[in-house]
Amino acid sequence: MDFRNMFIFDPLSKLIGVFIVLFTVLISIYSAKFIKHRKITYYIWVLLTALASFGVIFSDNLILITIFWGFLGLSLFKLINLYDDEKASAIAKKTFIIIGATDGFLLFGFLLYHFLTSSMSLSANKLIINNNLSFISFIFIAMACFAKAGCMPLHTWIPETAKNAPLPVVAYLPASLDKLLGIYLLVRIVKDSFFLDVTAKFTLIIIGAITVICAVMMALIQHDIKKLLGYHAISQVGYMVLGIGCATPLGIAAGLFHMINHAIYKCCLFLDAGNVENETGTSELHNLGGLARYMPITFITFMVAAFSISGVPPFNGFVSKWMIYQGLSDFMNSLSSYPLKIIVALSLLSALVGSGLTLASFLKVISSVFLGNARKHAKESSFALLLPVIILALLCIIFGVFAYSTILKFITQAIGSFNMVGLWQPVGATALIAISIVIGLIVFKFSSQKLRVSDTYTGGEELNPKEEAKIEDFYATISEIPFLKKIYSLAEAKVFDIYEELKRIIFVLSNVLKRLHNGILPTYLTWCLIGIMGLFFVFFR
Amino acid sequence: MQFIPLLVILPLGAAFFISLAGKNKNKLCDIFSVIITFFLFALSLFFVFTTHNYTGALVYKVGGWGMPGGITLVLDGLSIFMLTIVNFIAFMVNIFSVNYMNRFSAKDKFYALFMLMVGGMNGVVITGDIFNLFVFYEIASIASYALVAFGTEKEELEASLKYTIIGVVGSLCILLAIAFLYAYTSTLNMANIASAIAQNGINSVIAFVSVLFIAGFGIKSAIVPFHAWLPDAHPAAPAPISAMLSGIFIKSLGIYTLCRIFYNVFGMNSGISQLFMFLGALSIIVGGLLALGQNDIKRLLGYSSVSQVGYIILGLGIGSPLAITGALLHLFNHSAFKSLLFLNSGAIEYATGTRDLEKLGGLRTKMPTTSATSLAASMSISGIPPFAGFFSKLLIIAACIKSGYVGYGILAIVGAILTISYILKFQKYTFFGQLKEINKNIREVPIFMKSSMIALSIICIFGAVLMMPKIADYFLKPAQESLTRGMKYSDLVTQALYEK
Repeated sequence: MDFRNMFIFDPLSKLIGVFIVLFTVLISIYSAKFIKHRKITYYIWVLLTALASFGVIFSDNLILITIFWGFLGLSLFKLINLYDDEKASAIAKKTFIIIGATDGFLLFGFLLYHFLTSSMSLSANKLIINNNLSFISFIFIAMACFAKAGCMPLHTWIPETAKNAPLPVVAYLPASLDKLLGIYLLVRIVKDSFFLDVTAKFTLIIIGAITVICAVMMALIQHDIKKLLGYHAISQVGYMVLGIGCATPLGIAAGLFHMINHAIYKCCLFLDAGNVENETGTSELHNLGGLARYMPITFITFMVAAFSISGVPPFNGFVSKWMIYQGLSDFMNSLSSYPLKIIVALSLLSALVGSGLTLASFLKVISSVFLGNARKHAKESSFALLLPVIILALLCIIFGVFAYSTILKFITQAIGSFNMVGLWQPVGATALIAISIVIGLIVFKFSSQKLRVSDTYTGGEELNPKEEAKIEDFYATISEIPFLKKIYSLAEAKVFDIYEELKRIIFVLSNVLKRLHNGILPTYLTWCLIGIMGLFFVFFR
Repeated sequence: MQFIPLLVILPLGAAFFISLAGKNKNKLCDIFSVIITFFLFALSLFFVFTTHNYTGALVYKVGGWGMPGGITLVLDGLSIFMLTIVNFIAFMVNIFSVNYMNRFSAKDKFYALFMLMVGGMNGVVITGDIFNLFVFYEIASIASYALVAFGTEKEELEASLKYTIIGVVGSLCILLAIAFLYAYTSTLNMANIASAIAQNGINSVIAFVSVLFIAGFGIKSAIVPFHAWLPDAHPAAPAPISAMLSGIFIKSLGIYTLCRIFYNVFGMNSGISQLFMFLGALSIIVGGLLALGQNDIKRLLGYSSVSQVGYIILGLGIGSPLAITGALLHLFNHSAFKSLLFLNSGAIEYATGTRDLEKLGGLRTKMPTTSATSLAASMSISGIPPFAGFFSKLLIIAACIKSGYVGYGILAIVGAILTISYILKFQKYTFFGQLKEINKNIREVPIFMKSSMIALSIICIFGAVLMMPKIADYFLKPAQESLTRGMKYSDLVTQALYEK
């Protein structure tokens, strides 16, 4: 065995490696205060997770990647199960089954790839997708990436995990590390291992577009801050898959950039939510309110991250979304057939709408948690819990304002150079935004009218004058619209959950078989007889 | 070479001795039987290390009579492979029984039957004579019928009755087949039968005999649709015996004999190969689906054995060297992880008094060793890297794709998904979640039970080292070669006989 060819240290894996280190360090700092019991077990599994992640990104051998990748499923299972909690153990089981199943498909995809290209390396020669086998190989590998990153239809483990698992685990794995790895592998195979044909590209684009819009619609109606963030963690993956689905350098770079940004701001959001829950003891929106004056740093960092995820300039989320839009429009222009163009245009539209809805849902979160009347008294968290979120919020700003001089340089090295038509100059734009804010403050300072009384903003809801505005129900009306109501109620019944559906089918089959095994000896003997007759038929036909 | 008969004589003699002198002397029985099984294990390791660079077979003539009249004992790669597994698991199970069997009375009878079973299995694996094989097969089977009924409660007796009747149907098939074979070839020695068949070619007699053998040995190895006795019999037995039955009994009496007869005596052909693959895939799916629906730990594990044996049969059906290596490695891994899981279930029953999944939960903090070892076994059976089971499934699936059976490959993946689902069900309901009130005062099991579980869990974690190029030469490769060699088995044995 030659060990030299089994590893790869190219700019792409180094870039991801840096972020794995960053998140591991930040989460470890955070957990030092946050995790109170079973600390040793927790840290052992965190470290093993980090090591296995390094294994995934620095390996260039199919079997080696599968081994490290599969081990991550186990570590996720153990981390969700950190405490003896009924709900957490149920969701840990579901998570591990989904991840483990896709690991099986990953293995199958890799083996097919190996026998089609006769190479054990992912980057040696590119496989042209031109027949069923190569397409199956690609889709099976992509499925593992989807499950890990949380793209539809294999996303269903994320919202429940976000709600029930220990919070640092959520911030570490589903929010950041699993995204890094899942999208890393997707980028790797699109960039180095396969020439995507139209079908493969459009599979990715359609899945991405559906993910963006459906997950954000689910996020709108959530009442629990952690579950809401979980749905956003799914929705944002849609953007990454949209970008990568273009399979152009610009698209891939945009997807990769968005993934890095997402890991940063989603980790920040989850950790802030953890701070809030740690201080107030609840994560339900309707029990929270007015925390801005008690927890100013948490509030500011949460706001920065929320603006980033919603794609508000000049924060980092905007730059990467802007690149994704450009990647999609370039891709649309390169197509010749009109139906395909329309699909891409619709996907672009869903990405734009999704971005707006994200902002809307974060408006709800910010106002119900941090603004309004205080329902709980709290104090600011300790330094160890704040340091990680401060660093992450700063990164959100730096990667937004100085995108071209910092992170995009490394991404260009990793993916290759690309051109953008619509150039966004973040430094200049930020300067303009800052100047206008300063002018506004000056005007405010010298104007005579300091206050203006207006009606309470209710997110467009009709308000019962006797009641206090219920911010957490801002968008409850959309779930009243007849068509959407139907869909929401189906979603509540987990009809769209591929895991639950398959579970139902399998238990039907299992029950049929169980009924055949009735424990009566003559039945069993009859089967043996039937078996022997079958064998005679096979041998003597 | 003169040690070969010891593999059979020792356990049979021990069974005799224990039943004569062991009454009410539990300590003596414990020590004596552990020494015997350890010695058997050491002896098999001795054969592993002395014969690995010897490409032929070791032949011992019982009573000095040569072929074709006398009985020969033949040790080739496959026999040594099976012997090592059988005696290793027997040794582990024996250590476990030291504490566990205190729950039952009549420990001496247990050990006597246990030794009889080990002796029978060793005999099946080393004999070169097909009727002798049948005799040992019956010795082991009858011991197992009695052991399944060892609890002598309603459930155990019912299971044992079913098991006995179906087992006897299998034995009759085999006996009939042997009679036909003897009438056709005028010899009972497997090497001679093989050369006779090689001269006369395959005809309808051989086809008829093949059907009877597949049915007979299929019943023992629990291939669907001959599997129905297993989920009743394995759970009813005491946990160490369940571990023996699922871990090695179905393999040495079922799979080993199928391999020996169809690879080395009759010779594989594409028809049988297709049949094996089909039956293997069917067992994987049916066993997996049924395991998912169970609430009794041991029934779940019993159906899981049906499913995992399917992988071995699938690999043997494909028949390429890669597939055979995968199948044999899976056989080895399965004996380790399934024995361990049954021992775990025994430990759980020992501590809590129940094996109903719905009455358990949260045992992780109370029983850390049982929990950790069963996690290792569970990860190995579900094929999670880097545990041993991953590599054997990897080899089998790779062989499926390489030989062009993509569909069977996907079925194997589906089977793996079913496996992970039912094994996580087991894990979740026993070890994770909230501890039930009635289990507040339970304690971890005693030292001997712990030590054998830990030893087996190490095999579950590091079992894949057997694949490593240098190590494979000792153990896995000789076994694989003795199957890929196929009909040359007969020349090998004859040659070995006349060499000295």
